Amino acid sequence: MSTTRRLWLGLIALLVGSFGVLLWMGGDIHRQAPPVPERVASSTGDTIYTREDIEFGRQVWQSIGGMQLGSIWGHGALIAPDWSADWLHRELVERLDIEARRTGLGSYSDLDEAQQAALQSQIRADYRDNTWNPETGTITVTEERAEAIERVAAHYVSLFGNDPDMTALRESYAMREGTIEDEARREAVTAFFWWTAWATTAERPDSDISYTQNWPHEPLVGNSPTPASFMWTMFSIVFMLGGIGLLGWHYAVYHGRAPEPQPPVNDPLEELVVTPSMRATAKYFWVVVALFLVQILLGAITAHYQVEGQEAYGFALSEVLPYSLTRSWHTQLAVLWIATAWLGTGLFIAPAVSGHEPRFQRLGVNFLFVCLLVIVVGAFAGQWLAVMNKLGLEYNFLFGHQGWEYTDIGRFWQAFLFIGLMLWLVLVGRGLWPALKRRDETSSIVALLFLSTIAIGLFYGAGLLWRENSHIAMVEYWRWWVVHLWVEGFFEVFATAVISFLFVKLGLVRAKFATINVLFATMVFMAGGVLGVFHHLYFAGTTTAVLALGASFSALEVVPLALIGLEAYDTWSKQRATPWMPRYRWPIMFFVAVSFWNLVGAGLFGFLINTPIALYYMQGLNLTPLHGHTALFGVYGMLGIGLMLFCLRGLRPQATWSESWLRGSFWSLNVGLALMAVLTLLPMGVLQLQAALEEGYWYARSAEFMGQPLIELLVWMRVPGDTIFSIGALMLSVFVAGLWFARRREARQEVAAAEA
Amino acid sequence: MAEFYLQIRWVHVAAVFASGALFLLRGLLVLAGRKQWALAVPVRYLSYTIDTILLTAALMLMTLLHQYPFVHGWLTVKVLALVAYILLGSIALRRGKSARTRRLAFGAALLVYLFILGVARAHHPAGWLSTVFA
Ligand code: HEM
Ligand SMILES: [Fe+2]
Repeated sequence: MSTTRRLWLGLIALLVGSFGVLLWMGGDIHRQAPPVPERVASSTGDTIYTREDIEFGRQVWQSIGGMQLGSIWGHGALIAPDWSADWLHRELVERLDIEARRTGLGSYSDLDEAQQAALQSQIRADYRDNTWNPETGTITVTEERAEAIERVAAHYVSLFGNDPDMTALRESYAMREGTIEDEARREAVTAFFWWTAWATTAERPDSDISYTQNWPHEPLVGNSPTPASFMWTMFSIVFMLGGIGLLGWHYAVYHGRAPEPQPPVNDPLEELVVTPSMRATAKYFWVVVALFLVQILLGAITAHYQVEGQEAYGFALSEVLPYSLTRSWHTQLAVLWIATAWLGTGLFIAPAVSGHEPRFQRLGVNFLFVCLLVIVVGAFAGQWLAVMNKLGLEYNFLFGHQGWEYTDIGRFWQAFLFIGLMLWLVLVGRGLWPALKRRDETSSIVALLFLSTIAIGLFYGAGLLWRENSHIAMVEYWRWWVVHLWVEGFFEVFATAVISFLFVKLGLVRAKFATINVLFATMVFMAGGVLGVFHHLYFAGTTTAVLALGASFSALEVVPLALIGLEAYDTWSKQRATPWMPRYRWPIMFFVAVSFWNLVGAGLFGFLINTPIALYYMQGLNLTPLHGHTALFGVYGMLGIGLMLFCLRGLRPQATWSESWLRGSFWSLNVGLALMAVLTLLPMGVLQLQAALEEGYWYARSAEFMGQPLIELLVWMRVPGDTIFSIGALMLSVFVAGLWFARRREARQEVAAAEA
Repeated sequence: MAEFYLQIRWVHVAAVFASGALFLLRGLLVLAGRKQWALAVPVRYLSYTIDTILLTAALMLMTLLHQYPFVHGWLTVKVLALVAYILLGSIALRRGKSARTRRLAFGAALLVYLFILGVARAHHPAGWLSTVFA
């Protein structure tokens, strides 16, 4: 059996096994999800909340941006608190005070430590005992707890409205006045928040850990990491080290053994015939640049809301473009422009590889482009209407704001985008078809590349699998299918495949070896990546099995990243492989940056928050965006830019490239990103971590903590890095624009010279 | 943040003087026919760094004082004068074609710089002349 064949079989076996376990665990998560009660009653029989309240409340919460304003169970935005942890803490404080007064001790805050501790242990049973009755579907709480709930609910009803007493707090949370205009809806939201807080302390039946694995850290009620969290943290690190050792062995045996081909004398892409459909992809790249700039602008506004919660330099911004919207669009655009760069690349490459322009291909490319524009504009308009309370709740799920971070456009737009992706696959597939059919040396690497794009397209479909009222644990399960399986699975495979493929096309690497390498890399990425999805679900209402699997497999994701230097060096050395390679210097530099940030952003900063013990405290602190920015922009943003430059080389073969704009752009983007990480996100995250460890998770997210002068100073420290980063993006746009405009000028000069 | 008002203002003022001094030095170098020194890479990056610090501190002061350009006259004037200063400065250091243009632009830029200082001291759009207008 040939190596390639063995690898294919291995890969198929691995995928069948991993996805089998993944799906089976999905069933388990469904069965073991924290129950949504029919009724929450006090021991005297009064109804506090009903199932309808909780479900309606969740709908309302989703419509105002959901995870884009504060977070639930640690998932979501960072300026407003984590509502589950915040509610829990407030309720405990109220409950302790009620208990202190009931026992005649006076106010809780005046008691000494021993008295406080005694009271804490008295109320503990109230919180840890699971009083859900499966027969009646009722959760019963003590009268005192019911009173505490009522007080906290009053606080939230006032916070989400426009009570002037709460304006200062809304300001620090970056909430607009009248975040939820209707009072009945504000009351319903409290039902949902309460239920998420309930699940953080109520113990699973026959167990002494809560539905959220005791997350968040809350000393008042003894919420602390479970023993399993410790164990799987240690085991996962050992697995990772073992994996790195094994892969090191593999490289020692195989690396550098592939004979280098004789590089061609001339650039093989110079004779590239640019077909009409290829030319039509140019506008995809213009849109990439435009969306990138808008994304940065929205990011700047989002960051500014951390300084002034409702306005920007005197302008009452939150009345037209509140925080939850700018953040929604900022995160969505990140994915959208990167995806557009790849879509454009696929459409450009397909006819180039096969040398065949299918009929109506150009029409297809243009049609898809129009669809994408309609989707972006339509989806964003829907989100605006929803957050501004202008869209009826009944339309929210379909057309408004779903509130699930990264997958938050309305279902209709999601489905439309899915169809768009399928159309893209068809267009790329028919372009590639002759090359796939040829069965020559390169057809297997082409097939691999195509398979990774098919996977990217199809897996977006997982985002259509939850319904409006699906249990939040199931929504999380499917949502991370999209987000995680994309970025830590198929995107990684696509990145490796497309870069290898380009080198094959340039005649710098033999197709056969590239195929083996990519197949092997795919196996390594998939081995950790598929079941690694559970590292997002440790505390999302799942069981210990999820935690164990997630910790173990996601640690393996770091294995290929730890050794990525080998690949980066190979890429880097390609610059000098032939006399004509300098033409590709900047795409290659961006590919080297992809490797660098894969190590730093994904590998180091990803693993920093990855083990169960670490994430227990770090989830939703600034260490998450530290990883998010450096990995998502660092790896896939850089890849998108590199690919775009590659295609532009083909689209504009004769244009002279302005070295200095590209060099400036490259260094500004990298240095700016590094400064953002080092000057703001990392130190702020570490300070928050300390607060979460010492005082409890709620404190690290509280207005009190975030309002400290030192934290605000760190926010301001973003300005230099972000400015440099934006300049990099502007230089890139100038460069791209120059390819078209400078050429006209040159052409005019040539004409003038000829006439003279 | 308000706790740090004085320190931030101090950083802002220090950066203003550093920026002005560096510009003066570079302008003189250009006049002395040492343009390549004035435009050397370390010098350019030093100037970018100082200006970024200056502007960051300015934005911080704005949010602390709740006074903004295009809302408060003296800040509007400052921003507009700053634009003029930057344009004149770039003519003086780089873009000016003849020595005469560069010299004139340099002088004008310095005057604008002094005017901005006056506006800042007086918190009044007329700057040094504010007592006349007041
Ligand atoms: C290039 C690859 C990767 C990209 C683009 C990426 C991107 C992201 C993004 C955007 C988030 C969400 C941040 C937020 O909520 O604001 C995230 C979360 C996370 N990532 Fe990654 N990531 C990558 C690789 C990794 C790796 C290799 C690991 C560790 C092995 C990792 C571990 C995590 C963890 C633990 C979270 C937080 C989970 C949670 O809060 O539920 N990531 N990642
Ligand atoms: Fe992940």
